[in-house]
Amino acid sequence: MASKAIFSTLRRSLTKPHGGAVSRRHHLSTTSAATASEPYPGDEHAIVMKGVRISGRPLYLDMQSTTPLDPRVFDAMNASSIYDYGNPHSRTHLYGWEAENAVEVARIQVAKLIGASPKEIVFLSGATEANNTVVKGVMHFYKDKKRHVITTQTEHKCVLDSCRHLQQEGFEVTYLPVKTDGLVDLEMLREAIRLDTGLVSVMAVNNEIGVVQPMEEIGRICKEHKIPFHTDAAQAIGKIPVDVEKWNVSFMSMSGHKIYGPKGVGAMYVRRRPRVRLEPLMNGGGQERGLRSGTLATQQVVGFGVACELAMKEMEYDEKWIKRLQERLLNGVREKLDGVVVNGSLESRYAGNLNLSFAYVEGESLLMGLKEVAVSSGSACTSASLEPSYVLRALGVDEDMAHTSIRFGIGRFTTEEEIDKAVELTVKQVEKLREMSPLYEMVKEGIDIKNIQWSQH
Amino acid sequence: MVDKGQVISLCRSLLRAGRQYPDYNIREYAKRRTLDGFRMNKNLTDHSKVEEAYAEGKKQLEVVERVVKVYLAYPPKTKNIMELKLQ
Repeated sequence: MASKAIFSTLRRSLTKPHGGAVSRRHHLSTTSAATASEPYPGDEHAIVMKGVRISGRPLYLDMQSTTPLDPRVFDAMNASSIYDYGNPHSRTHLYGWEAENAVEVARIQVAKLIGASPKEIVFLSGATEANNTVVKGVMHFYKDKKRHVITTQTEHKCVLDSCRHLQQEGFEVTYLPVKTDGLVDLEMLREAIRLDTGLVSVMAVNNEIGVVQPMEEIGRICKEHKIPFHTDAAQAIGKIPVDVEKWNVSFMSMSGHKIYGPKGVGAMYVRRRPRVRLEPLMNGGGQERGLRSGTLATQQVVGFGVACELAMKEMEYDEKWIKRLQERLLNGVREKLDGVVVNGSLESRYAGNLNLSFAYVEGESLLMGLKEVAVSSGSACTSASLEPSYVLRALGVDEDMAHTSIRFGIGRFTTEEEIDKAVELTVKQVEKLREMSPLYEMVKEGIDIKNIQWSQH
Repeated sequence: MVDKGQVISLCRSLLRAGRQYPDYNIREYAKRRTLDGFRMNKNLTDHSKVEEAYAEGKKQLEVVERVVKVYLAYPPKTKNIMELKLQ
């Protein structure tokens, strides 16, 4: 009896410093505190990681790299993880049938979002796998007759790398340049088409600058010349209206974690009428119409399906909110600062992606100062080197502007207060850096930087 | 037949449940989405549509109550900067 008391006090004294579940709700008067809430001191709980000290979790404004999981998706995935553990390809027992049902429901949900038939959807591990499968698979299938691929300079790294791989195998690839607003020049596309062109690949919404390509026109050109049209729609589905019939796409890559779904799952749309063939990348038991063998991760697929259904329902509402926040962000920054350039077309753009360049500011120091805002910069996203991003280079942006580019990603869960705070922090940091910059002083005096003759020491 | 009192009570339950999310962004979204959702359907006159919207709301309430329990079972170890500044 006494030992029990001793042990219980020992246990209590050992766990007390951590405070167990420190209540995050004590500043909200209307919630009932189910756990003991201790006064939150503030800076003592600052996070120190990688040599950086921040007082709390930063604002998340990086929706293009990934998105948080929507609670409704999380709910569906939980139930599925517990009960749908059967292999969806097992035909002989209830567990397989239930899992297969769950996967088929998800297939219908994904198909509805893009205006396709469920039989045309193939699930795999993400948009990267889908891009690889399509680019390499289509060209390998038609390698006797078709030796040419057309793509753009602003594609995602996985498409560009797959094309490079094809070049090493002996295929020819044309990388179309883009105009300064990021859009593809349709005349150049028409000129680049040859008799042995096997695939045209243009991404619908660019992940770095957010421009929306003229998909219907490109689809029409491809239909005229009877060339399969592939699009990487990872950033587009659930955000802009996507219709495979209107766009005349033959292949589409989709990703789960860009639309508030789980990571590790994606889908590929492969058209059935007119039939397009491709060689699978993953050989095996012939699952997913033989195009992607392997057991499906049922709960990931279910999560993806629910995320697509939600995206379809909420598209209009989210679009209005995100457009509002984007205007607030842009106007807020433009009011206080000059020399702010939006990279990419402002008209043909997805509202949630705002890529800004600040003139006369050094990029790395700007990022270091913005550690309370989780954003991505034009250069860091693509590689670990300090080279500016290839997308901005393709747009023709000067190197110094490309280095200071920041990509703000606005999403479903972003709040107005976060935008105001981001504006405040950005403006403060840019002003601070410009204050210290002798180049800015010279510009204010009216000297044109580009025509300075720097004396050599 | 769904009456005004039931609708208001459903709205209040959804708001109350949404307030418990430990994550700042999801908490704010739950509040905004609930209010906007009810506001958008404010002028529905067709009874079947009203029933449909009410049933949808009830389903969402179940989801929120379930999910909040799991979110609270893994309390966050750090505070969001927005919550710090609010203090």
